[in-house]
Amino acid sequence: MKQKLGYLTLPLLMAAAFTTQARADGETIAVFTKNQTNPFFQTVRVGADNMAKTLNAKTLQYIPTKPDSIPEQLSQIEDVVVKKPSAIVFTPVDYKAMVPGVEKINEAKIPVVNITDRSAGGKFLSFVGADDYSLGLETARFLLKTLGGKGNIVIIEGVKGSLTNVDRVRGFNDALKEAPGAKLLASQPGNYQRLQALQVMENLMQSNSQIDGVLAANDAMAVGAIEALDGANRKAQVIGINGTKEAIDAIKSGKLLASGDYNGFAQGCLGTMMAIRSLRNEPVISEIVLKPTVITKDNYQPFDVPLEQRKCPTFEEAGKLSAK
Amino acid sequence: MTDITKEAMMPPRSFLSQDAVQVFYRLLAALLICAVLAVLSDSFLSLGNILNVLRQASLTFFIASGLTLVVLTAGLDLSVGANVALSACIAGTVIHKTGSPALGILTGLACGGLVGLLNGIMVTALRIPSFIATYGMLWVLNGLTYWYMAGETLHGFPAGFRQIGSGYLFGLPIPVYLLLVFLGIGTFFAQRTVWGQEIYAIGANPVAARLSGIPVARRLLLVYAVSGTMAGLASIIFLSRLNSAEADIGESLTLPAIAAVLIGGTSLFGGVGTVFGTFIGALILTLVLNGMNLLSVSANWQPLVTGIIVILAVWLDMKTRRRAQ
Amino acid sequence: MREAAVVSTPNPLQRIPGVAIVLVLLVALFSAIAPGFLSVANLSNVLVQSTILTMLALPMTLIIMTEGLDLSMGAVLTLTSLCVAIVSLATKSMLLGLGAGLLVGAAFGVANGWLVAILGIPPFVATLGTLGMAQGLSLIVSDGQSVVGIPHGVRDIYSATLLGIPVPIVMALVTYAAFHGLLYHTRFGTYIFALGGNREALRYAGLSPNKLLIAVYAIGGAMAGIAGLLMTARMNSGHPTAGLGLEFDAIAAVAVGGTSFERGNGWLLGTLLGVLSVGVLRNGLNLISLPSSVQVASVGVLVIVALFLDGLRSRA
Repeated sequence: MKQKLGYLTLPLLMAAAFTTQARADGETIAVFTKNQTNPFFQTVRVGADNMAKTLNAKTLQYIPTKPDSIPEQLSQIEDVVVKKPSAIVFTPVDYKAMVPGVEKINEAKIPVVNITDRSAGGKFLSFVGADDYSLGLETARFLLKTLGGKGNIVIIEGVKGSLTNVDRVRGFNDALKEAPGAKLLASQPGNYQRLQALQVMENLMQSNSQIDGVLAANDAMAVGAIEALDGANRKAQVIGINGTKEAIDAIKSGKLLASGDYNGFAQGCLGTMMAIRSLRNEPVISEIVLKPTVITKDNYQPFDVPLEQRKCPTFEEAGKLSAK
Repeated sequence: MTDITKEAMMPPRSFLSQDAVQVFYRLLAALLICAVLAVLSDSFLSLGNILNVLRQASLTFFIASGLTLVVLTAGLDLSVGANVALSACIAGTVIHKTGSPALGILTGLACGGLVGLLNGIMVTALRIPSFIATYGMLWVLNGLTYWYMAGETLHGFPAGFRQIGSGYLFGLPIPVYLLLVFLGIGTFFAQRTVWGQEIYAIGANPVAARLSGIPVARRLLLVYAVSGTMAGLASIIFLSRLNSAEADIGESLTLPAIAAVLIGGTSLFGGVGTVFGTFIGALILTLVLNGMNLLSVSANWQPLVTGIIVILAVWLDMKTRRRAQ
Repeated sequence: MREAAVVSTPNPLQRIPGVAIVLVLLVALFSAIAPGFLSVANLSNVLVQSTILTMLALPMTLIIMTEGLDLSMGAVLTLTSLCVAIVSLATKSMLLGLGAGLLVGAAFGVANGWLVAILGIPPFVATLGTLGMAQGLSLIVSDGQSVVGIPHGVRDIYSATLLGIPVPIVMALVTYAAFHGLLYHTRFGTYIFALGGNREALRYAGLSPNKLLIAVYAIGGAMAGIAGLLMTARMNSGHPTAGLGLEFDAIAAVAVGGTSFERGNGWLLGTLLGVLSVGVLRNGLNLISLPSSVQVASVGVLVIVALFLDGLRSRA
C-alpha cells in the first residue's frame, strides 16, 4: 500500500507546483484611460492587453462614457476599489483633479502605476510616460531646422486646460524662441479636432498671405491643416504629435513633415508590465520617460507596423527606452 | 371637416409675412457683423475669405436646415451630431471596401435617414418627448460608433469623391452650390408646398392641425427623417472635405446647428421660423468664429463671445418681432 | 412646451411610475450578476456619486415645471467650483469659498431668470447663452489651468461622515427635504405649479410671475453653487471643464423621473429615482466590466425605455 502511495507522491507534487503557478498568474489589472474616441488611447489599451496576455494576466478596461469626464473617472475609481483588482494602470483624466482618486486607491492598498500624464499627487510604484514638453520642443525644432531657422509660423493649439496641450504648446514656443528668424503669426485653438483645425487654418491663410510652417499640437489637427492648405493650393511644412497611423501615412506621402512619437502602445505595455512584475515581486523600473522621437520620412519604418502585429518591448528593452 | 374650415385653420403664408420681416432684420445683423469685421481686419473682405466663410457655414447649414423642420413642429433633435459621426464612419467604410463613392454616398444618406426615421417613430408611435428620445438616441449612436470604430481613424478617400467637399466649380466651392440648392429646396418646401404648410400648422397648434385632417404622425415622421438625412448629407461633405472620419467628429456639430436654428428666428414653441433664417443664423455663427480667428482672439474668450452673440441675436429678434406686431 | 391644460399635484399612490420599475429592475439585475453590488461600501458609493447630480436635478425639476429649462447649470457649476477653489485658496477659508460659489451661482441664476422673464427670451436660448458666458469665464479666471492647494476643510466635506453617514448624502437628503417642503407645503410651491400651468391666475392674485420666475432660476443657480463646493471637495481642486454637460444628465433624470415638459406636473421623488437609476446603471455596468461603448449605448436605452414606460402608463 505504502509503495503505491509513494508512486502518487511525484505526480501530486507536480500538480501542487502547477496549481501554485496558476495561482500566481491570472492577476486582474484594471486599466484606466481617458476616452474611447482618441486613437492614442486605443493604442494604450491594445498595448496593455498585449502585455497582460503575454504574462498570463487579465485586463479590465475602464473608460468614462463621457470623454475626459473627471467626475466619471472618480466614480470609476470608487467602483473599482470595491472590486479590488490586483493592480491598476492609471491615466488621469486630469493630472491635478484626480489626485483624491489616486489617494483612495492608495488607501485601499491597491498597487498602481501612473502612465501618460504624470499625476500631481498620490503614490505610484512606477511612472511610464512621454514628456509632452520635449515632444513639442523636438518636433518644432525639426520643423524650424527644415525651414532653415526662419519663416512665418502658426500654432494650432489643442484643448484649453489639457495638460498635453499646455506642455506641447510650451515646447513649441520655446523652440520658436531659439530661432530668432522665425516669426509667430498666430496661435489659435483647434481643440484637437480636425474640422476645427481645418477651419482655423483656412481663416489664418486669409489673414496671412505667407505661412511657412504649421505647428499642430496633435496629428488630427495637422491633417486638418494639410487639407486646408491643399484646398487653397498653398504649401507649408506641417508637423503634428502622436504618431498615429494616419500621420505616418501622411509622412510617407510627403504631406506631413514629421510627427512627435507619443508611443501609447509602449506606455500601455510597460505600465502593465511594471504592475504585473510588482505583483510577482520582480524588479520594477520606477520611472520610464520615453525618449522624444520625431518620426520623419527617414525613420518611419519601425513605426509603420499595424497595431495587431506590434510586440511589447521586453524588460531589458524597457530600460533602454528611457530618456534618462 | 370641410375644405373651407381646413383653409381657415392654415393662414396663407405669403413671403411678405412676419417671417420675411424677421429674416430681413437678421440679414441686416449679418451685414452689420460683416461691416465691423471688414473695418477691424483687412483680410475679411477678400474673395477667398468670403468663399471660406460660405463653405464653412454650409456644413452647419446642412444639419441645421433639417433641424429647422423639426423645430417648426415644436420638437428638437439632439442626435444630429452623433448621426453625422456614425453615418460618416459607415459611409467611409463602404467607400474603402467597395471603392465606389456613389455607394458610399447612398449609404451615408440612408444611415442618416434611418436614424431620423427611428427618432420619428419614438416621437410618434412611442410617444416619447423629442428632447428625451433624441437625447437617448444620441447616446445609443455614440455607443454604436465607439464600438464600431474602436478608436481607429478612417482616412484616404478617392480624389473624385473628395471633390464634393473640397472642389471648386467656376470659382465657387461645390458645398456652396449644394448650400444654395438646399436653401432653395428647403424654402420652397416650407413656404410653397402643402406639406410645408401643414408642418407650420402642426407646430402652431397640433390639436387644431389634427382636427383639420392633417396626418400629424406622418408629417412628424417626415421631418425627423429629413433631419436625419440632412445629417447624412453633412457626413458626406465632412468625409470629402476632411478626407477622414473618427468616432468623435459629431460632438462639436450639434450645438452650433441648434444655435443656428435659434439665431435664425425659428421658435422652439413651433410654427414660426424659416429655412432662410437658419441660413443667416449659420452664417452669423461662422462669421463670428472667422472674425475671432482673423483677429487672433484668445481661446479663453471665444466661448464667452459666442454665448453673448447667441443671446443678443435672439433678444434683437424678440424686440423686432414685437415692434412688427 | 405649450400651455398645460391641467395643474395637478402628483399622487404617487395612483400609479407606479416607469422610473420606479426601471430602478427596481436594475437593482435586482445587478444584485444578481454584479459581485459586490449589494455591499454597503458599493451602495454608499452609488449614493454619494449621485449627490452632485441630485443637487442640480432637484432645482431643474422646478424650472422644467415652469415650462423652462436651464442649460447653463453644468457650466455654472464649473465656474462656481472654480470660485470656491480660488477664494478658499486665497482666503484660507472654506466658508468664504462657499460664499463666493453661492454668490456667483445665484448671480447667474438671477441673470437667467431676468433673460427669461423680463426680456422674454426662450429659456433654451437664454441659458444656452449663459452657458457660453459661464464657460468663458471659467477659462478666463483659471487660464485653462486647475486650481490646487486649497485648504483641507473643503476636501473633508466630501469624505467626512455625520453619524456614520457620508456628509454629501446628508446634504442631499436635507436638500431633498427642503425642496419637498418648498414645493408641496408652501404657498411659493403652489405658485410654481401655477407658473407652469396657469400664469394668469397668478396675475389675478396680484402676484408677479416675473419675480417668481427669477426666483426659481435663482434657486437653480444657488444650488449650482452648493454643488460646486461638493465638486471642488471631490476633486480637491477647481477645474475649468469639470462639470460641463451635467445639465443634460439632470434634465434626463427629471424627464425619466416623470416630470413632463408639457404638463407642468412635477414629481420630486421621481427626479431622485431618475438620478439613482442612472447612477445604479453606471455603477452596475462598471462592476460587470461591460465594454465602455455598450455602457454608453445603455444610458440611451435606459432613458428611452423609462420614458416609453411612462408614456404607456399615461395612455392606459
